[in-house]
Amino acid sequence: MPGWLFGSLTAEHCGSCSSAAMAWLVVRLAISVSLLYTASAVFEDQVGKFDWRQQFIGKVRFALFDTQSQASKKLLVATDKNVFASLNSRTGDLFWRHVDKTGPEGHIDTLLMYGQDAVVVVGNGRLLRSWETTVGGLKWETVLDTGSFQAAALVGVQDHVKYVAVLKKSSISLHDLSSGSQIWVENLPDSDTVQYQTIYSGGNGLVFVLGVVPNSHIVIVEYKIEDGEIMNKKSVEAAWMSSLETSCTIISSGILLCADQITQSLYTLPLQSAEQTEMRQIHLQTLDLEVASGFQPVLTSTQPNPAQPPLSEFFLQLSPDHHILLQLKDNLIAPLRDFNPSYLAAFATSGERTVAAVMSPKNDTACSINLFSADTGRRHLDTTIIYHMDPNGGKPNRLYVHAFLKKDDSVGYRVMVQTEDLTLTFLQQPGRVVWMREEALADVVTMEMVDLPFTGTQAELEGEFGKKADGLLPMVLKRLSSQFILLQAWLAHLWKLFYDARKPRSSVKNEITIDTLSRDEFNLQKMMVMVTASGKLFGIDSKSGTILWKQYLENIQPNSVFKLIVQRTTAHFPHPPQCTLLIKDKDTGLGSLYVFNPIFGKKSQIGVPALPRPILQTLLLPVIDQDYAKVLLLIDDQYKVTAFPSTKNVLQQLQDTASSIFFYLVDSSQGKLSGFRLRKDLSTELIWEVVIPAEVQKIVAVKGKRANEHVHSQGRVMGDRSVLYKYLNPNLLAVITESTDTHQERSFVGIFLIDGVTGRIVHEAVQRKARGPVHFVHSENWVVYVYWNSKFRRNEFSVLELFEGAELYNSTVFSSLDRPHPPQVLQQSYIFPAPISTLEATLTEKGITSRHLLVGLPSGNILSLPKMFLDPRRPEVVSEQSREENLIPYAPEMPIREEWFINYNQTVSRVRGIYTAPSGLESTCLVVAYGLDIYQTRVFPSKQFDVLKDDYDYVLISSVLFGLFFATMISKRLAEVKLLNRAWR
Amino acid sequence: MNLRARACVSALLLFGLRVCFSQDIKLQEDDEDVMFKTPEEDVRVQVSGRALVPGVRAQDWISSARVLLDGDKHVGFLRDDGSFTVSDVPSGSYVLEISSPTYRFQPVRVDITTTGKMRARVVNYIKTSEVIRLPYPLQMRCVGLHSYFIPRETWGWSDFLMNPMVLMMVLPLLIILLLPKVFNPSDPEMRREMEQSMNMLNSNQELPDVSELMTKFFSPPKSQGKAAGGGGARGPRGGAPSPRAGASRRKMRD
Repeated sequence: MPGWLFGSLTAEHCGSCSSAAMAWLVVRLAISVSLLYTASAVFEDQVGKFDWRQQFIGKVRFALFDTQSQASKKLLVATDKNVFASLNSRTGDLFWRHVDKTGPEGHIDTLLMYGQDAVVVVGNGRLLRSWETTVGGLKWETVLDTGSFQAAALVGVQDHVKYVAVLKKSSISLHDLSSGSQIWVENLPDSDTVQYQTIYSGGNGLVFVLGVVPNSHIVIVEYKIEDGEIMNKKSVEAAWMSSLETSCTIISSGILLCADQITQSLYTLPLQSAEQTEMRQIHLQTLDLEVASGFQPVLTSTQPNPAQPPLSEFFLQLSPDHHILLQLKDNLIAPLRDFNPSYLAAFATSGERTVAAVMSPKNDTACSINLFSADTGRRHLDTTIIYHMDPNGGKPNRLYVHAFLKKDDSVGYRVMVQTEDLTLTFLQQPGRVVWMREEALADVVTMEMVDLPFTGTQAELEGEFGKKADGLLPMVLKRLSSQFILLQAWLAHLWKLFYDARKPRSSVKNEITIDTLSRDEFNLQKMMVMVTASGKLFGIDSKSGTILWKQYLENIQPNSVFKLIVQRTTAHFPHPPQCTLLIKDKDTGLGSLYVFNPIFGKKSQIGVPALPRPILQTLLLPVIDQDYAKVLLLIDDQYKVTAFPSTKNVLQQLQDTASSIFFYLVDSSQGKLSGFRLRKDLSTELIWEVVIPAEVQKIVAVKGKRANEHVHSQGRVMGDRSVLYKYLNPNLLAVITESTDTHQERSFVGIFLIDGVTGRIVHEAVQRKARGPVHFVHSENWVVYVYWNSKFRRNEFSVLELFEGAELYNSTVFSSLDRPHPPQVLQQSYIFPAPISTLEATLTEKGITSRHLLVGLPSGNILSLPKMFLDPRRPEVVSEQSREENLIPYAPEMPIREEWFINYNQTVSRVRGIYTAPSGLESTCLVVAYGLDIYQTRVFPSKQFDVLKDDYDYVLISSVLFGLFFATMISKRLAEVKLLNRAWR
Repeated sequence: MNLRARACVSALLLFGLRVCFSQDIKLQEDDEDVMFKTPEEDVRVQVSGRALVPGVRAQDWISSARVLLDGDKHVGFLRDDGSFTVSDVPSGSYVLEISSPTYRFQPVRVDITTTGKMRARVVNYIKTSEVIRLPYPLQMRCVGLHSYFIPRETWGWSDFLMNPMVLMMVLPLLIILLLPKVFNPSDPEMRREMEQSMNMLNSNQELPDVSELMTKFFSPPKSQGKAAGGGGARGPRGGAPSPRAGASRRKMRD
């Protein structure tokens, strides 16, 4: 069941009931209208003031250091996010980054580098690209023939690398390195039976292609570089072999070396010799070695220069933490050095010298990396780098070494360590961390913003009120003591201000740590809790973007889905805030809970319920237990409900309120939406079911309204001073369907508005000749959705607004069960002249500020589009009344102004989600856009009407005040003199 | 159960404000569409062109720019000389844009037929079938910098003084304060001048004049003051009672 939907539905919600709201309506209208054309733009001096961006690349698959010159800082990386980038190896910043399309078509198969050029094979061998690495410009691009990619190699002739060879499943092609033009392409012999996997060239004018028929024999084909003529072809028996790629490598002057776990042997075979027709077997026993059972031995060799044969030294990995450096000499394999235990080993070359770096465990929290010369296995002195493992992180799993020659001709090196949790750490001797990148953040799945706690002193005061009264005198004493603490804190603050003022400005910038975190006056600074696909959690300060805590959850399945729930906010001191992460395996549906403190990132000691059955739905109730934690209900596939926390108090409350707790389930494979009611014994009963025939259309998304959304005004004032009341049903669900028929004439997008308590279909609409992906926002009394109009090939926005009419049925309480009149539905559609990545709406504390839609565009910009433009009451013909209401006349095309891009040139690549949170200021909404990058900013949809402007002219206002003051004084004096003179006259 | 909402007003305005119900959008035959139907056979072509930013070296902007076809459905990159190719594009109609955080380019619609023929035309989202051909291979020229920022309202004395509100407030104030001082009704010179101007204006009968009203308003009942003559103080006291009067007097001098 792909449906993974959550919702909290209670039957009755008290609507904010007031007529004073009407006054606000007018104010709000005035605000929104007067600011229509300038709203939400960025001033140039605001750049970087409250916004920040962090750019990521993803999990590194290939990393190459530029070893051409000593001063080069370039580090080229290709990642699983289809990103090819150049990093500054001194700082970890990006020089440039190229983001290709997502999915297998942009997948980077391999990265090769020679000189200033980097050759990349993209899209399973579809494209061959060469990049100029200093500028980051494309040199050339060629389309290769179809066929799945196997391997690619640089081919050198007489010490010069001139070509690149690409091996496909059934063909091999050779391309010129400087222009990309194809020199020749040849079909591989017997490609239907032989799996060709490896390509090798040692610079002697020949290209070897190696294939294997599993458990039978190896095929070696020699091609001449000039014209692709087959010089030789032979097959060698190798019954034990299943794959060349995993078990073989090429060492020395073209000798194939393979390792086999079952026979506990190494096998060698010279590629070129005609006489040897079978592989020579070397038992590992003769070398006193043994491969750990069940472990596929790994061979690592190095070919420093593609125009030269590889070195004869190689690493053999016998178990996950045992490497051995071996050498092939005179047809004999001899161990050079045994590294036991050792986690990782890698070769690196600088100039003529090749070294091997080996990471070995030092103690529980640290590893040491040492450098050894490759040809002798001797340890280089004073080359130890201590790598401290993050106790909240994962184990290191890749080691990239950058070796360089020092002035005294000794070899120096730096290493980049990649860990399971996708942290890149760049270290230099003797263990200084030069930079660190948290690449897990390139794949944020979900996030929440949590208010920061009060400072110690504020909390102290709060705590005073929270405790039980214990007599008059102690209370007075406590009061006095807390006042004294406040005074002390204030004096300390003043002293700090004074002290800082004397220091130069640059040194004042103090580091933000968890201990110094506290809520600011307007609650603008919050803790961003981010959950990433790799299972790493982050706590990020929203003001600066500093990572304050991180926690790697091990054993997370790669296809897990996450749901983050804030159960208790920081408002309930001394109870710590509490977040719950529900981790669900997509295939089995089995879930587990992880409870933690969102401010400090520590795992909470609270016992979590075991979840033996797949979880279908969760809902967070407004019911709280005695510790102020909201109750989370988990519904399993047998419609049984588990409550968390499940104390007696909670169960009692649930029994009392069970009859008004409803929830819904979505089964998109059967097109079934069903509503349930909770029973007193925590079982459930089915009360409604809506079936949308799955053969015709499939449910793609279901969304309710956000629980923390406030609607300030209950209606809209019309031009004739009457009020059009909004249909504010908190239980309304918006269901989006797409047709299964994708033909452009017959495809359609459907939208259903369904009451989640009664199952009543409030409205349905169909957009013909339209297809997804549909992005939509459901808020207040409106739904805005975007679809692709396949007839006119453009994106269209459509807005649905629901109104009760001129009279409110029951103005105090909204009940789904008692709404006899269906709402009036207004709809209007507009053309949106750009593609769309994601859609979200701004959110403010009280809902007085006008709403904006935040549209993430594929170009990386985030557009803040006033909701006023998406108003189904926009008139075609302007009338007196519509002018009175400040309705914009209808125009089919939605405007896109560059001033509405809230992130100016700080584009967010592949924006996947936008998170909005209210701040303590009504005018301000906090926005986080995440995708490959993370961008945080604040938006002011109705301008900053509740704070003074940034450029407020204090000098002018004070000079005017003083001027007036002195003018009065002087004129008073003059008047006195005049009076006196007159009296004398 | 009431399945459908009672009143559904849906307005989808397409070509020239055509209103129709969203449940029932009329089918409209468009021969453009027949031409660019989804292909059965797999035709993959290269879209190529060249992007130019006049006066800027290609190295300075190409690394942050991308060529996007219909969002990021297909992505191409720029070469050092500004040229680009987007490879492996199946037939269809696409909007090609160059996305650069600094420079702005006009998007172009590229149509690829099932046989692999290509043409480029101006993007028009409202009249989608309108064809205004553009050269192919594409020539993308930068049309300026992105203007992300709006200028701050700066405060200046001139802005302040020229503000209509200020003008409305200050000018009457000045008139009330200064007029009695400047305009001395007992000054015979002034008076004569007034009369002259009045005569001038009277010749121009159809226009009632402010200065006339002013004089009537401010001058005391006609009694004394014709006696005293004399040339003297003319210039400095000639401060206009009202702009209009001043203007008319100047005219008279001419």
